[in-house]
This record gives sequence, C-alpha cells and structure tokens, in this order.
Amino acid sequence: MSRHSKGGLIDRSRALSFTFDQQHFTGFEGDTLASALIASDVQLVGRSFKYHRPRGILTAGSEEPNALVTLRSGARAEPNSRATTIPLFDGLEATSQNRWPSLGFDVMSINQLASPLLVAGFYYKTFMWPKRFWEKLYEPLIRRAAGLGALSMLPDPDSYDRAHAFCDLLVIGAGPAGLMAARIAARAGLRVILADEDICVGGRLLAEKHEMDGQSAYRWGKDVGAELDALPNVRLLPRTTVFGVYDGREYGAVERVSDHQSQPQPGQPRQRLWKIIAQHAFLASGAIERPLVFGGNDRPGVMMASAAVTYLNRYAAAPGRCAVVFTTTDSGWAAADTLLRKGLKIAAIVDPRPGPGIISERIAASDAEILTGARVTDVHGSRVKTVDVTTGDGRGRRFAADLLLMSGGWNPAIGLGGNLGARPVWSEDIQSFVLDAAPPGMKAIGAANGRFALDDILADSASAAVRLVKDLGLRCVETTLPSTSPDRAGVSALWHVGPHRKKAFVDFQHDVTDADIDLAAREGFVSIEHLKRYTTLGMATDQGKTSQLNGHALLAAATGKSIAEAGTILSRPPYLPVAIGVLAGHHRDENFRPERRTAGHDWAIERGATFVDAGQWKRAQWFAQPGEKDWKETVNREVAATRNGVGICDVSTLGKIDVQGPDAGALLDRLYINTFSTLAVGKARYGVMLREDGFVMDDGTTTRFGDDRFFVTTTTVNAAKVMQHIDYARQVLWPDLDVQATSVTEQWATYAVAGPRSRALLQAMFADLDLSNAAFPYMAAAEFVWQGRPARIFRLSFSGELAFEVSVPASFGERMIRALFETGSAFGAVPYGTEALGVMRVEKGHAAGNELSGQTTAHDLGMGRMLSKKKDYIGRTMAERAALVDPARPTLVGLKPVDPARRLRAGAHLLPKGAEAIARNDQGYVTSAAFSPTLGHSIALALLQHGPSRHGEHIVVHDPVRGPDIEAIVCDPVFVDPEGIRVRG
Amino acid sequence: MADRLSLREIEGFGLATVMARKGIDAATIGDALGCPAPAGPETATAGSLRMIGTGPGTWLALQTSAKPSWSGFISARLSGLASISDQSGGYALYRIEGPQARDLLQRGAFIDLDPAIFGPNTVATTMIAHIGVILWRAGDDAFDIALFRSFASSFKTWFADTAATFPSPSY
Repeated sequence: MSRHSKGGLIDRSRALSFTFDQQHFTGFEGDTLASALIASDVQLVGRSFKYHRPRGILTAGSEEPNALVTLRSGARAEPNSRATTIPLFDGLEATSQNRWPSLGFDVMSINQLASPLLVAGFYYKTFMWPKRFWEKLYEPLIRRAAGLGALSMLPDPDSYDRAHAFCDLLVIGAGPAGLMAARIAARAGLRVILADEDICVGGRLLAEKHEMDGQSAYRWGKDVGAELDALPNVRLLPRTTVFGVYDGREYGAVERVSDHQSQPQPGQPRQRLWKIIAQHAFLASGAIERPLVFGGNDRPGVMMASAAVTYLNRYAAAPGRCAVVFTTTDSGWAAADTLLRKGLKIAAIVDPRPGPGIISERIAASDAEILTGARVTDVHGSRVKTVDVTTGDGRGRRFAADLLLMSGGWNPAIGLGGNLGARPVWSEDIQSFVLDAAPPGMKAIGAANGRFALDDILADSASAAVRLVKDLGLRCVETTLPSTSPDRAGVSALWHVGPHRKKAFVDFQHDVTDADIDLAAREGFVSIEHLKRYTTLGMATDQGKTSQLNGHALLAAATGKSIAEAGTILSRPPYLPVAIGVLAGHHRDENFRPERRTAGHDWAIERGATFVDAGQWKRAQWFAQPGEKDWKETVNREVAATRNGVGICDVSTLGKIDVQGPDAGALLDRLYINTFSTLAVGKARYGVMLREDGFVMDDGTTTRFGDDRFFVTTTTVNAAKVMQHIDYARQVLWPDLDVQATSVTEQWATYAVAGPRSRALLQAMFADLDLSNAAFPYMAAAEFVWQGRPARIFRLSFSGELAFEVSVPASFGERMIRALFETGSAFGAVPYGTEALGVMRVEKGHAAGNELSGQTTAHDLGMGRMLSKKKDYIGRTMAERAALVDPARPTLVGLKPVDPARRLRAGAHLLPKGAEAIARNDQGYVTSAAFSPTLGHSIALALLQHGPSRHGEHIVVHDPVRGPDIEAIVCDPVFVDPEGIRVRG
Repeated sequence: MADRLSLREIEGFGLATVMARKGIDAATIGDALGCPAPAGPETATAGSLRMIGTGPGTWLALQTSAKPSWSGFISARLSGLASISDQSGGYALYRIEGPQARDLLQRGAFIDLDPAIFGPNTVATTMIAHIGVILWRAGDDAFDIALFRSFASSFKTWFADTAATFPSPSY
C-alpha cells in the first residue's frame, strides 16, 4: 500500500470498495479512481491506441491522455473515461481498454515491431498500395488494432436534463483566480455563476500547500466557496465542465449530476446540459503542465510533477518510492520538496537551466543529486527502472528510480478562448500561447492569463474583477489581497532533449512521436493544421491538452521557424468529450419530439385506433376490429361502410386560419388563383394558392362567415407555412390592407361525417338545423349552438359522398365525437382513419400531398381553369411562363391495370408500350396508388405527359425496384361518381 | 403546507385573439374593453379580464370563468376596432406555483426569468421543450402558461420528468 496514514482530503472513515479488471481494491471517500489505483500500487492502467504500449497515469486532471478506462458495465458502461476525474464510489467497476487478452499481456503490442509501418500518415499511405490489400488486410487490421473502449450497444438507462441560466459574470474555474474574482463580483451584487469541473472548489489549492493570510490556502478557498454558496446572487456549479463558447455570449456546460454515484437517485438525471448567457466571463481555467520529450517518456512511472504533488497532498497516495525529477520550471523544484516532505526519496533533480537550482532546506538535507544544465535522455524498463541523464558537461549518468517526474512548463488552459476563431499568440515570457483576442465579454485571469505565482494570480484576478465591477457602474465592497506564502513560477522551455535511444512520445494518446513530426515535415506537411491532420497529433479524446504545444514546437524546429511563426491551432468545442445523451436531454424515444393529440385521441384509443404521424400530429390511421387479418381488410371495410352507409373521420389536424377585416376578401383574392371576395356569406369555396414561382403551394376550402370574416383551411402539413405566407403577404407585401389573420387550428375539433346516411345522422343530432339539400346545399356552411357551445357545420366532401364537417371548440371535441357515435350507432356509423380517407380521395381523383409536391402547377393538377384572368395573385406571372403551360408537361391522369389482379404502386414510372425502359422514354410517374374496394381493383393517380389527351391509351407501368412491368389503361382521375351526383345528393 | 412546486390546469376560461384593425391603437382597444391593452409584451388586468400582449397590435384576452359565448361579447365591444378569434378551446392554461416554479420553468425556457428582468406582468412568447408557449408572471412564485391544447400531454410529460429532478417534488 502506498497510502499515507495521515493527511489528504480523503475520509478514511468511509472506505469504498471497487474493482479494476475484476480485481478488488479499496479506496476512500474523496479519492478519484486514479488516486485509489495509485494508493493500491497499480501502475499499469491502459494500452496505447496504435502500438498498444503499456501506459500509466500521467496527470491528475481532465487533460489525462493515458489512463482511459471503461467505467461501469452493461448498459451503463462508459468507454474512454478518464480515471483521473472519476470520483470514487462504492462498488465502482472499471475495466482497462485496448488490450487483448489482458492488460499485462497484450498480443497487439507486437504492433510496436511493425512500427516502421505505422508512422505518421500510415492510414493514408495504405490507400496507395494495391487496392485489394485495403479491404482484405488493412481495414480489418486497423479496425481491430485501433480505437479505444467499445460502446455497450445497449440503450442508455439514464435520463438527462437541461437548464438555462443568465448571469452578469460566468467564472470558469474555481481555483484561487476564480474564487477571488467571483467573490469581488458577488459582493458587489453581480449575478455570478461559478463553474468548476472538480467535486469542490479550490483548484490548485486542493493539491498544493500554500498559506494565505497566515492560514492554509485550502481553508481560504473553502471559506470563499462557502461564502459564495450562501449568496442569493451566486450559483455554484461543481462537477460542471464549460465545454464551449458560442455566439451571443452563450456558453455550453455539462453538470455531472450523478456520475459520482453508482447510479442516479430516483428521478435524478445522470447529467444536465446548461446553456448559459453570460454578459461577461472570466476564464479561470488554470494551466496545464507540459510533458518533456525524451526516450521512453510514456512508460508507467513517468508522471507530471504537479500530478505527483496532487496525489501526495490531496489523496495521501504515493506514486512511487524513489524519483528522478526532470524540470525546466521552478514549480518542479517545489514538487521535489513536496516529495521529500512526504517521505519519498529523490535520486536526482535534473534541470536543463544553468544555475544552482532552487534548493530548499529539505532538498539540501536530502540525498538528491542536483544536476543543472543537464537533461534526461532515456527511461529504461517497461515500467521506470533506470533513468539516463546527460549532464551539463556531456557525461552520461544512470539513476535507479521507480518514478520520473517531469515539468516542462505551463500552458494556460485557454481552449475555450479560441472557440469563436481567435488564434492565441505566443508569449516569450511564459514560453507558451496566451489569449490575445478573446470571445466578446470573456477575459482570461490567473494562470489562464499566464500568471502562475499565487500572489500574481490573486492580484490579476482581483484587478480584473474590480475593473469589471467599476465598468458596470457598481462599487466594490472589498479589494484587499490576501498575503501569500512564497511561490516561484520561473519557467524556460526545453522542446526536445536531443539524441535519445527509445521512442519519445509527443502525443501519448495517439502515439505520435518526435520522429513522426520530423517525418511529416520532411513529407511537406509544414503547416500546423496539416501536421495535426497528417499525424493525428492532438486529435484524440484529450484533444492534445498535454501534447499540442510540444508538437508545434518540434514542427517549428524542423521547418526552421520560430514557434510564434509556426503558430498554433484553433480549438473548437467541445473542450472535453460530451455525451450525445446530454445534448438530447429529455428528447429521446417517445419524447423525441413533442406530439400533438387531437381532442378525440383518447376516444380513438378506446376504439382500437392505430396511429400515424402527420407532422407532429398523431392521427388515427385505421380502426381494426377483432378478426380482421390485416390493415387492408380494415381499410376496405371502412371505405365500404362509408360509401354505403356513414363513416366519421377526425379531420381536426387540418390547418385553420381566421382572416378578418374590411380587406380580408381582397387579400384572399391576391393569395388564391381563384376569387373569394365574391363568395357569399354562409358558403365555402375550394381554393388553390401558388408560390411566387408559379407552382402550387397548398389547397383547401375557405368559408365566409361574415362580410369581414373568412375561415381558411389548409392541408395538415402546410398549416404553419400557409400561416407564415399570409402574415408575410399582409405585413410585408400589402401593409396598406386592413386585414388580420391568426391560426385557429387548435380552436376547432372537426369531424367529417360522410356517406349516404350522413344527413340522416346529423339531422337526428341537430334537430334545429334544416340539412335538406334545398336549405343546406353542397358547399353551404353555418354557425350554430350545440349543447351551449359554438358549433359549425359545413357541407364539404373529400370522399365524394354526401358529406358534412362538424366543428366544436377543441375542449368540447371529445364530447362531440362520442355524441356522434351515440347517435350514429342507430345508423351503423363507423370510424375511419387516414388510410380510408386516402383511398376515397384517390377514388375521387383529389390531389393531395403526393400531388402537391412543390413541382406541380395548377394546370398539371387539372385545375388550370381555376386560374383567374380577371385579377392578379401571387404566382400568376411566373405560372404563365411557357414551360409551365406546355401541354407536354406531365399532367394528372388516372390509371387502371389491364389485368385487375395486378397492383399499381406509387413511384413507378410510365413508359409507352414497347419502349425501352430508359430515362429518355420516361413519360411520367405514379403519384398515388390504392386498392379501390369500390371498384374491386387497384387504381392510381399519375402525372403523364399530354395526360388529358391520352385517356384510353395503354401504357407500361415500370417499377424496376419492386416488380415486373404492368400494363395499365390511362383514364380520367375521377374513378367514382365522376358526375358528382352523390356529393350533391 | 405550501407546495414547493405545483402544476394546476385552469379550466372554464374564455380566451380570444384580439388583433387591432388598421390605425387603431392599444389605448382605444383598452378603453373599449375597460381593461388596459399593453403596447408591449406585458399583461394587464381589470376585474376578471386580462389582456396579454403577444405581438404588435395583438393580444390574448383572457376571462376567468367565462361563458361559452364570451367571445361574442368581446367581439361586440370591439366591433370595428379589432378582429376577434375565439381561442377558448384552443389553448390549455396552467398555473405553475411554488418556490421552485421559476427554476423549473428556467429548465425549459431559454429566457431570463429573474424578477428583475421578468417582473410582474411580463409576458414572453417562447418555447419549452420544443413546444410554443405564452408565459407570464402571475405572482412572486407563480407563472401562468398557455400552450396549444394538442401539446398538453407532451408538456405535462416534460414537466413531470423535470419536476422529478427537484428535491422532494410535490405536484
């Protein structure tokens, strides 16, 4: 056990058991999976992506490239989870990835022997070799070898939530900078959101030993956090990663609500997506320590110096016994001091910088050899065993050690700052990139702003916060800075150690080495963006948080540029991987999108309806009865019962628009190809409207209920589009007209009552109305009162039968549909669905969605005579274009199979008899087809060149996908009651 | 004991779209109705009548406990001044109330519901869970929300799922 008996922010009274690769371990409340593994002496936690090299834990944060595991099992298994950010819970189950058959012995590590083939761009190079090699050899090989963890392929059992927030100031990161700035802003009364990915506030203060105002800095952070938490104008979001910056000062964040538990509490989501509008944002995300590039730098036991400090201080877990510290930073020397304080041995401290080093009393008193002006060249052993050092005078030294700590400098964690396209700029001072232009409202503070010493961090963040408060015209309550214990932050960079023997990795997760970068440069990939894509540097799940800059520096060196000239890449959201589930949130499965239910929905369920989606609407498709063997039998029965008796269909989903005002008729005349201003009150008329380009947009009936009161209906799918079209026309095209329009689709529940017995049924229900043909002829309409409610009745027919439509307010719709059937039972009334509705409209040759395809004109649909020549209307000029009035255009016809047993299908193409089945001979296509129970055979509507003049001609219906050619007779599209006797009966 | 969060469907109301005729201003409409018609996204009440601004020259008139023929009364009052469409059956109306009401609605609505921004009688036409809603503040901890009746089931599902994520929900 490498767990110290004292210290750390862990609760030793709460032991938590967990497994890693089925082996049982114990950790404590407050641990991460990584710290618990380190405390349990587990060094090997994963295998690398390409070469399957053994890998250990490199960092203690979300930048971790190596320690990726599959967390949990079964449906909750989550691959590629960073062990360094997984809070330990009791029963945690983790499995290593990318190894077969076991982590210790991995067959694929033989890839290392083939590594000359797996260099930069190997994936692209395989395309250049014999083609047959790709499918047979490379793809299977690459697929098996590459990739990290696997998805469970089971449905996610958890739920996800969404929330929105608005604030004056979003502080991203709750380290010393974030806490300092948030407190100043919060005390001044700003609305503040403080988000941090850790389980508690503090940032580096959780991991390092500092003093502020004479007390422990950790305590200071905790106190500030508690003060902020108690303020009503502050929202603390722990376990929350801000992953992206978007236009309009919008920030995306994921709150891991339940990921620190074995499974969510009842009702609780696993994660919550936050969309935050922040007028201002402080990027207080700290800095990420940079690895050094030397031979064998990926071996388990090689660790960032700051990570070792974190494991020792925060988790009381020792990652080794005897270390070599390789540092180009002052913080590396502080790390060495921490190691000694925690009882570890140090074999050597290696610093390439000249000078005596930063030798604390503890270091001076230890056995550690101080080697300045020196560098580590290679690490030996599958885990760290010995370390080769080249000293300042060029001599080679070898040290025995089980831990190598590296500290190559600090990169401000400014990924979010580049989200809107601003490229970071090079800073000689800190040897890293910093934000120059940040997204609007955003400012980096503290370490993210290149200030690494604790006193600088506090001063920088305080001054930024004070300035913001003053800019907003508010007063600061307190601005005194806490005094801090000394914290040296000198850095210089060492991009490469020079000659070395072992592979030296730049991108650990994607196995990109220094040699790969050299090769890419030699092959001409000399821009940063090309280098990235060719070598895949920085393209793994960690997005190169530890590797990017080293790679860019090496490319700069290889191409003879300065790093400032070579530049760096742009960082896009998300900053860290985001589960698709949290983006979907509530909207999955049956809640994928909201559904619209008609007033009669529950009634339809009782009647055994099968529903179909019509846009968002749920519509009854048919109402099967016991014993019916398939839907066709049901639909045939519904059609026959309607045509021979009476059927009732819910048509509430049709779009409905009130168009009112003194100029309502004038507006409708300009919207429709036919005239409505002449329509009599109490009458309905069928109308067609065109788009500006002259093609048909929509159709429907319009009824006039008063001089200045029209009621327009649209097809179900075009309801919103027509409403927009009308608003556009009255608000933009003709604002001079005094006309108002609003959707009343939801107000009216409407039922079509169709069939020869419809009049008798309705007359029985509405005794006060006279529904006789004389008093209420075809296309008549009336308002009346039913059971104290406003009601409407229309004599309209889509089925071609004697038919009516009855409307009541939707809140009363269910009562109406039930009443219709209570009365209707004596008349043998049947409910029918959209399928029977569709069959009957094909039998009547009515154009519907398939024909109103956006590619058809009024002429095409046989409605050319409706095009008024007495007035102007939208689309008229364009509809008169020569090509749109060409009689050769495919025009609506009916089709009947010559052999009545054959079935016509929509989508089939029409060819002259004897013509070869090639596109040149194509004369049209079948738009709608149905089995007509009325005629006893298949029928279809089609668009056919010169259609109206070809009635009686035999034609070939060619359907290469679904079946052999069928011979059909071209006929009038109205198959049933072409004289229209029934509708007027 | 006050519920931390409650959702109550309001029934028996009268609702109508009021759209001013050309050249008729909000004050004229308000005078004719005896209830102010706000010229912006706000609501005003007089007795049991509430005018809810939903767009330029456009309001929803809401009458609690109205007779089915109520929209005819509004039409008569505003004859020649506005076009009236009865919507009494077209909307479902809910009162969401309790200390958690604002937080819950904020989960769905991407508008700032802070009282300093969305104060008494403020109205918003917005979306919750892809459902169009008209929302106004009905009290310190109370909001009224109107949505197309056909969406009621989906809205209540979203509400229940979201409310379940709050500590000790009671609705």
